[in-house]
Amino acid sequence: MEYKDDNYYIEKVIQGQTNYFSYIVEKYKDIVFSIALKVLKNREDAEELAQESFIKAFKALHSFKGTAKFSTWLYRITYNTCISEVRKNKIRFASTDEIQIKDEAEEMNLDGIPAENREKVIKAAMERLPEDEYMLVLLFYFEEQSVDEIRKVTGLTESNVKVKLYRARKKLYTILHEMMKDDLHTIM
Amino acid sequence: MKKFENDMELREVIKSIQLEKPSSDFTTNVMNKVFQERSVVVQLKEEPVLGKGFWVIIALFVALMVIMVIFSGSTSSAEANALIPDINSEGLLIGYRSFFDRLGALPSSIAGISLGFSLLILLERYLTSKKTDLV
Repeated sequence: MEYKDDNYYIEKVIQGQTNYFSYIVEKYKDIVFSIALKVLKNREDAEELAQESFIKAFKALHSFKGTAKFSTWLYRITYNTCISEVRKNKIRFASTDEIQIKDEAEEMNLDGIPAENREKVIKAAMERLPEDEYMLVLLFYFEEQSVDEIRKVTGLTESNVKVKLYRARKKLYTILHEMMKDDLHTIM
Repeated sequence: MKKFENDMELREVIKSIQLEKPSSDFTTNVMNKVFQERSVVVQLKEEPVLGKGFWVIIALFVALMVIMVIFSGSTSSAEANALIPDINSEGLLIGYRSFFDRLGALPSSIAGISLGFSLLILLERYLTSKKTDLV
């Protein structure tokens, strides 16, 4: 499917051509669902929450002024919906102190991971990150959102976002390092 | 040592991952709910702020005022009979005076509360219609 700019579809929806909203849903459903799944850890609940995020976005579409990226605005709605769900169900976010960061792991060469396994390994490592850091890593590295955009999504300060991204990256390397060591141990 | 912002290698690797996908009918489900929302909004927009019920009440109120004006000066059933010859004007006059005597005995706060309540309902309807205008 060839996509035009988000604002093109938004204008169409605001003018009353509601069916154009499906382009927005198709474009962003995977990442919205991934965020929800990480928080709720259950596919059915995550789908419901992801659907709820899109409905909220549709209802509030008239208030989207276009000064920020639409994706930033949508992710903010998703993030707030997740936070509400967490508070409602008293879901506990994984502690950020559970993974002991190892500085030497940062020197790990990602090329050391076989190419055919690289995607699986990285995905498995990201799954082990706490929910908030997973989301930051996803938004920064996968979605290429800037620190400022992530600040708008999460409501954190810029320095807080930077600190969390710094720690998340270190943790990711630590996890990868441990995974590679375990694999090597298994082989031996 | 690389900073998190400059770690292009990590960025490339993360960008290569396949995200979790929702079910195949996810978009259909969302759009069904979106269309439902849209039809509710359209229905609300089409509803007048002041509905039929309101105008019926206003009409009854005006009719009551007219009757009050007609009978306010009447002291005898003979005069009332002259105006509306086919009704039991004496019974009507007694009932009318009795009703307003009792109404007059009520504290004025009741009238204030009723008026305030009516204004709040009207304001709520007006604000709801303004909200739906934005979509």
